[in-house]
Amino acid sequence: MTGERWPLTPRERERYERQIPLLGEEGQERLLHSSVCIAGAGGLGSPVAFYLAAAGIGRIRIIDSDRVSRSNLNRQIIHAEADIGRSKVDSAARRLEALNPDIEVDPRPLHLTEENVVNVVRGMNLVVDALDNYPARYILNRAACMHTVPLVHAAVNGYCGQVMAIIPRKTACLQCAIPHPPEETPPPVLGTTAGILGCIQANEAIRILLGEGTVMGDALHVWDGRAGTWDMIPVKRDPACRACGAGGKG
Amino acid sequence: MKESVRVRAFARFRELFGGTIEMDLPWPATVRSVIRELEKINPAGLAELVDNEGNLKKSVILMINRERIMGPAREDCPLRPGDEIAFYPPVAGG
Ligand SMILES: [Zn+2]
Repeated sequence: MTGERWPLTPRERERYERQIPLLGEEGQERLLHSSVCIAGAGGLGSPVAFYLAAAGIGRIRIIDSDRVSRSNLNRQIIHAEADIGRSKVDSAARRLEALNPDIEVDPRPLHLTEENVVNVVRGMNLVVDALDNYPARYILNRAACMHTVPLVHAAVNGYCGQVMAIIPRKTACLQCAIPHPPEETPPPVLGTTAGILGCIQANEAIRILLGEGTVMGDALHVWDGRAGTWDMIPVKRDPACRACGAGGKG
Repeated sequence: MKESVRVRAFARFRELFGGTIEMDLPWPATVRSVIRELEKINPAGLAELVDNEGNLKKSVILMINRERIMGPAREDCPLRPGDEIAFYPPVAGG
């Protein structure tokens, strides 16, 4: 960081008046000059995008190749009945611009691949994994590790979810934590589960962008919405990891 | 001879087997002995924990005393009296 300041406008000062006492003007300026990529505009991506836009993250890139369907609406709260058939990223961008017209939203209707992930991650201060499958998650995780971009992962199923922050070269990565992906069957999900996990992702994203670090590294933090419990599954960095360790080289 | 261990099942496994289970096992015991006891608790639920050969599914996270146990033969890991054995199935949805 250069210590450069970008003074807030009166309008920004008013919009963020209730959080500036918490973040400081410098913290707010920092958020406004941050770029975050949200991979996935679904159940997790909805609350992540809403809260990051509301908090004043200056540039939000949102990626998803799907279109909105009615069966998305029990949990993907960024979309509405009138958006059915519309591209999810366009629907999300409209909603975010309505919420906060002072930030820049960059909707990308694409499917994440080994080829395009570099362009998606490069130049970002942070990436959020709000995806719904492990092949795409591993692609994103590897790119985040390679380009040293912090990544906040979450996943949900039914009443349960997991969240973990990845600080490349410091903490374990997603593939260290979950080297063998679970089977992919469309899981039942309650909107509140995605809401809870997505809010935590946004919270950690903000704290990492502010330079406060994260308390969610080196462990899967597991929410059980039936038992009302959080549990911690410790994770260690695997020196032979195919994404962040020696196993990925050559 | 029997000794007891504590088994913790997280998320979906909590629904299938119960959250914390105090288990008396014929001794000496391994993780496999725990799997056999879990089968008694919920025979149908076992299919979510183990594969067709009766080994833990690769994706299932196993911890003993909060230490992650990795590797192919982790079911044969020997237990000590009082050990805490934990199972967690990572989730995938978004
Ligand atoms: Zn790794």
